[in-house]
Amino acid sequence: MQFAAGAVGGTLLTPLPWKLADDSAVWSQNWSWRPSPERGEITKVPSVCTLCAGGCGIQARIVNGHRAILIEGNPANPVNEGSVCALATSALQFLYAPYRVAQPLKQTKKRGDKTGFQAISWEQAQTELSKKLEEIRVEGPQSLACITSSRRSSMDDLWAQFLTAFGSPNLFKMPSQCDSSRTAAQLTTGNASPFAFDLENAGYVLSFGASLLDGCAASSRASGALRRWKKDRYPVKIVQVESRCSITASKADTFLPINPGTEAALAMGIAHLMVNGANYDAYFVKNNVFGFEDWTDANGKKRQGFKNLVASSAYSPEQVAKITGLEAAKIREVAKEFASQPKALAVWGTGRADISNNTYHELVFVALNALKGNLKPSGLIAVAPKVPLSDLLPQKDILSENASQHPRLDLAKAQSCPCPQNGLYGFLDAIASGPKYPIKLLMVHEANPAHCLPENKLFMTAAEKVATLVSFSSYMDDTALLSDYILPNHMALERFDDVIGVPGAPYGYYAVSSPILKPLLDTKHTGEVLMKLASTLGGTVASSIPWKSYEDFLKFRVEGIAKAKTGAIIDKPIDISSIKAGDPVTPNYSDGADLFKKLKAGTCWHDAPTGVTFDKTSSGKLELACQSIGKGTQATDDVIYLPHFSPLKPSGSESEWPLLLVGYSIPQVSCGYLANPPFMNKLVPDSVLMGNELFVDLNPQTAASLGITQGDLVMVKTTQGEASAKANVTPAARPGVLYIPRGMGHKAYDEYIENKGVNACNLMEVQLDPVSGMGTVWATRAQLRRV
Amino acid sequence: MKEEKTSASGKVVGTLLFVLGFAGAMVLGWVVFPNLLYSQKVQPLNFSHAAHRDNDCDSCHKFRPDGTYAGIPKISNCKECHESAQGSSEAERILVEEYVAKDREIPWLVYARQPDNVFFSHAPHKGKQIECVRCHRDVAKEEKLPPLREDRITGYSMTTMEMTECEKCHAERGASNNCEVCHK
Repeated sequence: MQFAAGAVGGTLLTPLPWKLADDSAVWSQNWSWRPSPERGEITKVPSVCTLCAGGCGIQARIVNGHRAILIEGNPANPVNEGSVCALATSALQFLYAPYRVAQPLKQTKKRGDKTGFQAISWEQAQTELSKKLEEIRVEGPQSLACITSSRRSSMDDLWAQFLTAFGSPNLFKMPSQCDSSRTAAQLTTGNASPFAFDLENAGYVLSFGASLLDGCAASSRASGALRRWKKDRYPVKIVQVESRCSITASKADTFLPINPGTEAALAMGIAHLMVNGANYDAYFVKNNVFGFEDWTDANGKKRQGFKNLVASSAYSPEQVAKITGLEAAKIREVAKEFASQPKALAVWGTGRADISNNTYHELVFVALNALKGNLKPSGLIAVAPKVPLSDLLPQKDILSENASQHPRLDLAKAQSCPCPQNGLYGFLDAIASGPKYPIKLLMVHEANPAHCLPENKLFMTAAEKVATLVSFSSYMDDTALLSDYILPNHMALERFDDVIGVPGAPYGYYAVSSPILKPLLDTKHTGEVLMKLASTLGGTVASSIPWKSYEDFLKFRVEGIAKAKTGAIIDKPIDISSIKAGDPVTPNYSDGADLFKKLKAGTCWHDAPTGVTFDKTSSGKLELACQSIGKGTQATDDVIYLPHFSPLKPSGSESEWPLLLVGYSIPQVSCGYLANPPFMNKLVPDSVLMGNELFVDLNPQTAASLGITQGDLVMVKTTQGEASAKANVTPAARPGVLYIPRGMGHKAYDEYIENKGVNACNLMEVQLDPVSGMGTVWATRAQLRRV
Repeated sequence: MKEEKTSASGKVVGTLLFVLGFAGAMVLGWVVFPNLLYSQKVQPLNFSHAAHRDNDCDSCHKFRPDGTYAGIPKISNCKECHESAQGSSEAERILVEEYVAKDREIPWLVYARQPDNVFFSHAPHKGKQIECVRCHRDVAKEEKLPPLREDRITGYSMTTMEMTECEKCHAERGASNNCEVCHK
């Protein structure tokens, strides 16, 4: 007993118990599965982010030249000035993701069966694919099609080159608001380039649903503009017109909660007050606008102009108040502010700009800016300038020989729209409903239409009719899972790519995205796979795509800028918004090789804005009466030429479907090709997603009328489908409208991504725009009941 | 009387037993336990700091241009002088044959590696004119690298500085002891 007591006493006076306790705590910090960053020399590799179209400069921290540990903003880049969004910050989770496709895969069982994928070599994959292409080329090259989400990249042009040389017109892009903006620019200015906004120099911003702070197409630029607006001595007033109180709305000086889809009616109401009060830029309108006054068409028929249309009582504040749900006095107040502010700018948008807009509504917003004189050469609106990259012209245009017999599949139907554009929906619809010719091989590049295409069942149905579906995705996404072959692309940080222009920015911009490290897996650059396929196919396809590597191809493209001798490299922070249209920008590169070397090192090229020109329209002016809309028809209704409020009616009756469902985006959720990475899931508020349960937002009034309380499990049923979710009762929602976040509900990837929430695209209805034929989405009729 | 005697001798025995237990525990805790806890690991080859005395610490243990600390020199640093053997020692042979010729990094065992949850930067300490020997052993006359005594439980070196040491010095010099100074 005494011995034990002595031993205990003695032990307590030695380090033994204390050291053991301390060590066991430290030991628990070092369990083998605990992630531990590699130690070593850290280098910073500058590049440009291509995860979205925003064109932000980034720099990667790399340990020992091979392990990336952080992506941060590049302060020398003028677009983001050192800031980055949550997606770019999470980029490494895509690079090291367990759901990356490590080598080419071939489906050996039924499509969609994860266990059926068999690893094959690149040689086998390319041989089998080129064999199929050779067969198609003999039987009818139009049976090859491609869907890509690549837009502001040379990959886009390479796909066009490949398909054109092959002989197929069927290249389609995932939807974007750029398409409808380009349509409006083409109709009104004759320039096939989307509108751009001088946000940084605006003095008053009237935003019709533009998600400036909710992850719009160039979110870092928009955040930078907001910083300027709030920093000045006289802060810029922001008025947000939207049906849901988004982050942008909550940061705005005035929020106008409006019935969904009626933003254009408000714009017409404001234009009505400006015109009737003679409170618009009459000099600009008189000298530069066609179709403001009544006009005469090519057949000599007298037609109504925009002035008489908008001045009619149909757009009086009282009428507009009825449509929009706002008070007439509030409409008058905003109209007065907008008309009287010298640098007032109207901007518009559709959520994250990944949905095409109603063409007439685009035209309305253009008209409102025209009344304000914003389309003057020195105005706040321009069309994005063309970056003078080397053009890719096929040596022999096989397409033109084949095109007369086999037009693009969406256009091969009896009735087509007057200004056909990116007809992805028409294409899918045609495949599903018995096409004029079959699609035997569909290639999907950097796109996930099975998930993020609104009314995605159209893609599913079309995919079933396609003999072979090939995905070039780096990840096992929803579309890759349905594919017969997956030929994995390098992840964005492992490959060469480029960024051609910043969405909505008036200045010229070009950057090369260089790989930050060597590819980790057995993947290949899709551009180089196309080059290999072209060389195997031989003939005109091979001669049209002579490059051996994607880097060589980019060098060739950059030569075009050097030959044009325009613009300059930016390698240190500058205020790009201070460069005005027509300002001289002196080239600071010697030749194409020098320019490419500098771009490869993470700098960017810029040029001064060009302003808008109207010399390509038939009147030589800005056309508010869009003559090409009625071309070839004897339109009886004058309004079809003019900007006007023209909502597309959702299907279903109001009595059966009393509510409207509207999809929305938040900056913490990626809702395009890329799934939401775990880092971003951590940022998602509990009112949007909790565990695997997604919330739909509804107003307390709506909730009370349905007997629903916060957190209740509910069943959302729309004319397109149904899903269970939880109720988030919030005054941010408009009465009678349900709001569902987009980007969740994947059915692929891994346990951290799949089955989180429901996919809003399953519930949304798409309507075809009567002018452009593109799919537009604004609201879907819905029912809601408590489960 | 008998009882008292028994009691007195019992007390002596009891005290002896207590002292024995106490002393045994002390020996165990102060001598046996540390030797059991720490393994002795030998460096891949011997490095004589004394033989490199013509250089100051910074010329090999240098700061990178961005201000970060490079730590133990890379083989490229050794190669500057030891492209071919500079003597006939066993260490020299191992260096040239195993590492320089094969262009392999030497897997040195590090005596002062801090855990991942510690953000330690040498640069501000150097800036405050703190001598290397304030935290590291004085190697000026050291001809043979000591074995690394690695804690078998935690995996850290016995000479890895503990938090109390950091805090003490920070307190003495008026530097902040806020958590986020070292635990970012």
